[in-house]
Amino acid sequence: MSTVSSFFTFIPEIVRYALAAAGPLLFASVGGLFPELGGMLNIALEGLIGLGAFFGMAAAGASGSLAGGALTAMAAGMASALLLGMIVLRFRAHLFVAGLAINLAAGGITAILSQAWFGTKAVVPFKIPPVPAAFPPFLRDIPLLGPMLFSHSIITVSAWLWVLLSAIVIERSRFGLRLRATGMNATAVDALGVRADRYQMTALALSGIGCGLAGYALGVSISAYVPNIASGRGWIALVAIYLGRRRAGWVAAACLVFALAESFSNYLQGFLSIPPLLVLALPYAVTLVSLIAGGLRTSAEGM
Amino acid sequence: MTGAKPLSSLSRTLFALLAAVLLALIILALSAISAPSGRQAGFFEMASHFFITPFSNPYFFGNLLADSVPLMIAGLGILIAFNSRNFNLGGEGQIYSGALAAVVVVLAIQEHASPVAVWILGACAGLATGAVLGGLAGILKAVWRISEMISSFLLSAIAIAVTDFLVAGPLQDPNSNFQTTREIAPRLLLPGILQPSKLDVSLFAAILLIAAAGFAGKRSRIGFELRICGENEEFARYCGIRVPAYQAGAMAVSGAMHGLAGALLVIGLQGRLIRGFSGGLGWSAITVALLAQNSEAGIIPAALFIAFLKSGSDQIMIGSGLPSEIAALLQAAIMLVITMQTIPLVRRMKNKPAGAVQKRGSP
Repeated sequence: MSTVSSFFTFIPEIVRYALAAAGPLLFASVGGLFPELGGMLNIALEGLIGLGAFFGMAAAGASGSLAGGALTAMAAGMASALLLGMIVLRFRAHLFVAGLAINLAAGGITAILSQAWFGTKAVVPFKIPPVPAAFPPFLRDIPLLGPMLFSHSIITVSAWLWVLLSAIVIERSRFGLRLRATGMNATAVDALGVRADRYQMTALALSGIGCGLAGYALGVSISAYVPNIASGRGWIALVAIYLGRRRAGWVAAACLVFALAESFSNYLQGFLSIPPLLVLALPYAVTLVSLIAGGLRTSAEGM
Repeated sequence: MTGAKPLSSLSRTLFALLAAVLLALIILALSAISAPSGRQAGFFEMASHFFITPFSNPYFFGNLLADSVPLMIAGLGILIAFNSRNFNLGGEGQIYSGALAAVVVVLAIQEHASPVAVWILGACAGLATGAVLGGLAGILKAVWRISEMISSFLLSAIAIAVTDFLVAGPLQDPNSNFQTTREIAPRLLLPGILQPSKLDVSLFAAILLIAAAGFAGKRSRIGFELRICGENEEFARYCGIRVPAYQAGAMAVSGAMHGLAGALLVIGLQGRLIRGFSGGLGWSAITVALLAQNSEAGIIPAALFIAFLKSGSDQIMIGSGLPSEIAALLQAAIMLVITMQTIPLVRRMKNKPAGAVQKRGSP
C-alpha cells in the first residue's frame, strides 16, 4: 500500500526528471530534423554530441562562463557538421559512411585531446558556475505544477524554445519551405535557380549547433565530461526524427516519450531492484519498440 | 551529374591509405612539438614505434596478424551486407554477444568434450547468436521497411548491455578481480602459432572463409542473385528473385560472421570473455570492408592494414603516452576519404560544377 501511494506522489518527480532529460534529446533531434528535411539524414549526431560536450565543457571550465561554453559547443558541432557537408556535397562521398567517420573521429579526437589537456581520458570534472533557474521563485512555489514545470534550468527551457523556433522556421519561413523542397526534389530546386546544396549545408550546420548544445547540456548537468557521454542519444534522436515524420512538434513528442521512459525506468529501479547494468539496455529497447511500432504504422498506411 | 569521371576505386583506396598515414605523421609531429622537452619521445622515435616496431619481431608481428583475424571475418560480414545494399551497424554487439554465447556453451560442455567438438560448438554458438541479431534487423527491413542501420545498431546496443550484465554478474569468475567469465581449459583452445604472440589457427579459418565467400559470391547462383538485389532491387523483383529473403538473409549472414569473429576470439588464445574486449572492432570491420572496395580478396590486405594501424597506435601508447584512440582517428580518416567520388579542384579544371546535390538513398 505504502509503495503504491509513494509511487503516485512521485509522479511529479518523474515528470520533472523527464522534462529535464528530454533537453539534450530535443536539441539533437530537432537539430537533426533540418538535414533530414533537406534530404540528408545526418547519422553523425552521436559524434557531434560528444564533440559539443567536450569542447563546450572545456571552454566553460577554462573561461568560467556558461555562455562561453555554450558558444564553443555550438561552434564545435557546427564546424564538424560543415566538414561532413563539405565531404559529402563537394567531394561527393557517401553520406552515411562519412557520417560514421565523424562518429569515429569524435571519439578519437576527444580521447586524444582529453589526454593532452587534462591528463586523463576518463572522467574530467569541471568547475562551472551554477546554471540559473529559468523561472522566478513564486512560480516554482506553485504546488504540483511548480516543481514539475517551473523548477527547470534555463538550459531545459532553451531546449523547448529551440523546438518552437525550429518549428516556426521549418513551417513558416522561406528557408524552411525551400529546405523541404530540396528534400523532395533537389534537382528541381536547382533548376529553379536555388542552390540546393547551400540549403543542405545550412541545415547540416543547424544540426551541428543542436547537437553541440545537446552535448553541452549533458556535460553541464553533471559538471563533467565523461567518455561516451552521448551514450546512444544521437541514435535515439535519429529514431525520434523518423517517428516525428518531418514535423518538429512530433519529433519533440517522440523525445518526450523516450525521456519519460528513461525517467520511469530510473524510478522503477528503486522499487524492482533491476540490476543497473541491465537498465542501460532499457532506453535502447524502448527506442527499438517505438521504431518497430512506427514502422508497422507506416506500412499499414502505405498498403 | 557533371561530365567529370568519378575517381577509380584504386585511386580512392590509395587516397584513403595516404590520408591515414599523413594524419598519423601529423599527430606524431604535433605531439612531439607540444610535449615538454625530455618528457616524451621525439618525432622520429615515435614514428619508428608506429611504423616499424609492429614488424620488428615475431611477437609483435604475430599480434598484428592475430588482430587482423576478427577484422577479416567481421569485415567479410560487412561486405556481404554491402553487396545486398544493407548497412550493418550492429557489428559491435554481434561480435560481443557471439563471443559470450561461445564461452557459455564451451564452459557448459568442456568437462566431457574433445577440443574439436568445443571448436565446432563454440563457433556454431557464435554464428547462431550473430545470425539472430543481424537477421532480426534484416527481417524488420524486409517486412516493414524499417532502416536496418538503426535497428541493427539498437539491437546491438541492447545485446552489449545484456552481455555486460551477464559478464559482470551471473557469469563472473568468482576468483578473478576483473570483470570476466571463467576460463576455458587451455587444452581446449585453438592451437597457437608464433608463440608467445596471441596468434592462433583461426587465421587460416579466416582466409578459407574469405576464399569460400569469394567463390560463392562470383560463381554461385545465390551470390549472383544477391548482387542483383543490391544493385537494382526493382530489376531483381522482375527477375523473380525473392528480394526480402535475400535482404534478411544477407543481414543474418553478416551477423553470423560477426558472431563467429567473436567466438573465435574466445576459443582462441583469449580463452574467456573479458568485459568490453571487443570495443571498436565492429566499426573497424566497416573500415575494412570499405577499404576492400567490394572485393572479397581485398578484405585480407585491408584487415592487415587496419590491424597495422592498431598495432602502431598501441606501440605509440607504450612508447610515448599518446592514447591508443589514435587508431580510431586514423580509421575515421580512411572512412572520410574512401567513398569520395571527386576532388573538386581537379573537377573544376575540367568541368564547371552544376551544384552537387546529395540524393537520399540506402547505401
